[in-house]
Amino acid sequence: MTTASEPYVLNIGPQHPSTHGVFRLRVVMDGERIQDIDMVVGYLHRSMEKLAEERTYTQNIPFTDRTDYLAAMSNNLGYCLAAERLAGIEVPDRASYLRVIFAELQRLASHSMANGTFINDAGAWQTPLMYMFREREKILDLFEMTCGARLTTNYMRIGGVAFDPPAEFFPAVNALIDELPDRIAEYTELLVDNEILLARSRGVGVVSAEDAINGSLVGPVLRASGVPWDLRKAEAYCAYGDFDFEIPVGHVGDCYDRFMVRLEEMRQSVRIIRQALDGLPSGPHKTEIPLALRPAPGEAYARVEGPRGELGFYVVSDGGPAPFRFHIRAPSLINLSLLREMAVGTSLPDAIVTLGSLDIVVGEIDR
Amino acid sequence: MMRSAWLDPVREPTRRLSPQVLAPLAVLLVAFLALNVAIAVLIVSGRLDGHWYDFRDLGNAVQALREWLDDRTADQPGWLSDLLGDHWLSYIVTALIGAIGILSFVGVVLLVLIWVERRLIGRIQVRRGPNRVGPFGLLQPFADAIKLIQKETLIPRGADRFMFYLPPVLVFIPGLLVWAPVPWAPHMSYLDINVGVLYLIAISSLSTLAIFMAGWSSNNHYALLGAMRTVAMMISYEIPLSIALLSVVLFTGSMQLSEIVQWQADHNMWLGVLMPLALFTFFFSSTAELNRTPNDIAEAESEIVAGFHTEYSGMKFGLFYAVELGNAVAVAAFVGTFFLGGWSLFGLEEWVPPYLVFALKIAAGYFVLVWLRGTLPRFRLDQLMMFAWKYLIPISLLQVILVAFERSIFEHWDVPGVIPLALFTIVNAVFAVRIVRFWARFLGYRPERETLLAPTLTRSVGGLQAAQRMRTVR
Amino acid sequence: MESTGIVLGFWLLSGVTVASALLVFLSRNLLHAVLALVLSFLGMAGLFVTLSADFIAVAQVLIYAGAISVLLVFAVMLTPLASRDNANSLFVLPGVLIGAAFAGIVGFVAIDVDWPELTGKAVLGRDFTTTVQGIGSALLDPYVLAFEIASVLLLSALVGAIVLVREDEPA
Repeated sequence: MTTASEPYVLNIGPQHPSTHGVFRLRVVMDGERIQDIDMVVGYLHRSMEKLAEERTYTQNIPFTDRTDYLAAMSNNLGYCLAAERLAGIEVPDRASYLRVIFAELQRLASHSMANGTFINDAGAWQTPLMYMFREREKILDLFEMTCGARLTTNYMRIGGVAFDPPAEFFPAVNALIDELPDRIAEYTELLVDNEILLARSRGVGVVSAEDAINGSLVGPVLRASGVPWDLRKAEAYCAYGDFDFEIPVGHVGDCYDRFMVRLEEMRQSVRIIRQALDGLPSGPHKTEIPLALRPAPGEAYARVEGPRGELGFYVVSDGGPAPFRFHIRAPSLINLSLLREMAVGTSLPDAIVTLGSLDIVVGEIDR
Repeated sequence: MMRSAWLDPVREPTRRLSPQVLAPLAVLLVAFLALNVAIAVLIVSGRLDGHWYDFRDLGNAVQALREWLDDRTADQPGWLSDLLGDHWLSYIVTALIGAIGILSFVGVVLLVLIWVERRLIGRIQVRRGPNRVGPFGLLQPFADAIKLIQKETLIPRGADRFMFYLPPVLVFIPGLLVWAPVPWAPHMSYLDINVGVLYLIAISSLSTLAIFMAGWSSNNHYALLGAMRTVAMMISYEIPLSIALLSVVLFTGSMQLSEIVQWQADHNMWLGVLMPLALFTFFFSSTAELNRTPNDIAEAESEIVAGFHTEYSGMKFGLFYAVELGNAVAVAAFVGTFFLGGWSLFGLEEWVPPYLVFALKIAAGYFVLVWLRGTLPRFRLDQLMMFAWKYLIPISLLQVILVAFERSIFEHWDVPGVIPLALFTIVNAVFAVRIVRFWARFLGYRPERETLLAPTLTRSVGGLQAAQRMRTVR
Repeated sequence: MESTGIVLGFWLLSGVTVASALLVFLSRNLLHAVLALVLSFLGMAGLFVTLSADFIAVAQVLIYAGAISVLLVFAVMLTPLASRDNANSLFVLPGVLIGAAFAGIVGFVAIDVDWPELTGKAVLGRDFTTTVQGIGSALLDPYVLAFEIASVLLLSALVGAIVLVREDEPA
């Protein structure tokens, strides 16, 4: 004799503490066990890709801020690289170094946020998030003193960066870089051994290396599954070839590995920033380009290793002042696509932790 | 000029108590303590007995009042004493005093603790906490209450209205009733019944049903999930909790709370020191019953929004929130009573009011609860269930057997009580450590950190082949 | 003489108990019926208190109002179509008959038995303060066999319940 139970549908979102934005999971559950998940996206769609076809190449930079609002610098960078590739513009060395510095600072800020919210999803009552916000706040202060904005920076320009950092930037960033290894060690000490966190995240949401590649996962999620793939090494765009750093690779591809890979990437970012600050060349920070850039007809695709993974911009020019086609390959959307495979058969808390470990930004999923 | 908050931090000036406020407070405190010491000297030297002016023990004053009332009404029996019994006036008066005492204590404590908890959590989370309403944000609880009262109470469509309205009230009743048998001082206890421990367990089990009603009547999947989780947790964790209290009852030989405390005072031994395993079991099970981290799965906000009170708004939510806080304080009080010696502090209770000693212990216990809440992540439901059934219940049963043996030795061994107690303390501590380790290994548990692997660092990139290569290298 | 307050309390509590017991089968919503049942359990506990049987009273609250009621609620929730209807059932007539018969038996016993009434000195001679110790030593001394048999029976019922509802492990 068995007791029969009937499945029911639980709507997680669009408004829910753990969806990290307006995004909906339609979960079919049997008790606490998940039988099926539908991901419903589109609540934050702002048709950026279409709007971009009506604006000049320079005017499109602010759009990229608003896709992944936690990693505006990386998005600026990816788009500017694509536009430069399309128009054949050379970038001064100093600009490349500054781009690396700010992209890595952005990675630090974004990974702080990702790890903090991940542990929040695992049930810690905001405390790790607040600790990690402490460092993120300082990084955002650095952004503010350089370009005047904290979140939607709009700092990169086609042909370089918008401003040279002010004089007080360098002592501040040096102090931060000196402080950060201690802070990261503090997180490691507090969290890496935490028995509850281990019990919640190890063996949860496992993706094998084969599945990760087949699902075309990117970024820390891919690396956590054991695939050593990082565009900063593979393509060495900007000045990444000049720096000595390593990429962390996980073992089993569970949530814990993703957490650890992000933590280690923060250490490596500190290393890169230090080298970039030491070797920062002098010279102009920007190549002068015409305001209404009219690239020759053609197409270009540029990709960068954003905090969430491979971020690609595809730009097509018909010779006019605005792109003919503008497309963003958003890492969050691609990483999210495997959530169903990770979460079906597990329980609701596991699914939430898995979702948190994927580190999605809904602005980027819907664009 | 560009603001660089970083190099030149724009700090909010920290407000401190000014000497003008501090000095009178200090004088009052010193005077109060001096008065206590003076009375204690008089009592110890035998020149003063426990009368109403011995305000270190509020029970004396009430006792004096009762006797006075009995004297006044004894010689004039009227129709009222026919109806209500002989001592009706003193009964009613003492009952009113006790009830008003409990009500006002719980009310004041809730108001203060909402502030304390938020400030403490703020400290833990490197932020400031509420500091805008009133001095140091002290009026924040009032502001919260006013806001909650003003809010519209929404009732979801399809909800069972009657059963939706009832639970916030129903959960409040056990929250007040549990305070009745708590001994604050030697004679200061409202309901010193001889089944006090059972009474506590019975009363605390009553709120289960109210929580279940709340979740079921909300017509919301989150609320229902939360209610189911709560009920499952409460049923499971009531067993180790009761077994932990069984050890206490067994060793002190009484279910009366005042006698349990008196035993600890007489033997100068805290039961939490004597049996640490029981203390741990009780505390952990209580956090599960209270829905506090690491066991707050019933209202896990990252999973099921707010659990059983998802649909409650306004003061209904406020009541649930207040009960939750009040029960946390009550658990701190019970840990203090059963395991930390209640109002006794190795003779110090002769010199300061015992209820202050007890309040200090409550505060310490509550601080630990807040600390846990600010620090730990959350377990999963199945992990908690497994922990209760496979882990806590067997080892606390073994502990009860051990305590039973110790109890019979204690009773029949003809040496001063200090020797067996010291012996038992050592035996129990060793037992606690060994049994926890042994049982964990027995169940096949290996500490996770033994198999921990930090991410591998590499400088070369590649695809699937590289991944497989890396895997074989390990 | 018995004080009128106790008598008043008795009638009040028995009124609540009987009224909620009536609600149990008059309510059309099964969950409301369960709640009324819990109320009648609590009324019973109050009646025990008036009899100075504090242990039984607390045990009544603990076991019936705290545990059995939750069990009932679970049973109701796990039964399909449960909360819809409480009245239309084939068992109404036999239920009423059995209930009436039981009430008749209880009433007959209550009236027929010559209850020994303790008054005056006889009451004072009894020690009412240590019901817990009395029950404890009674369970473990004269009635230890019955006590053990009951616990074995409960254990086997527990195991049996688990065996009955156990699902086959998926291979």
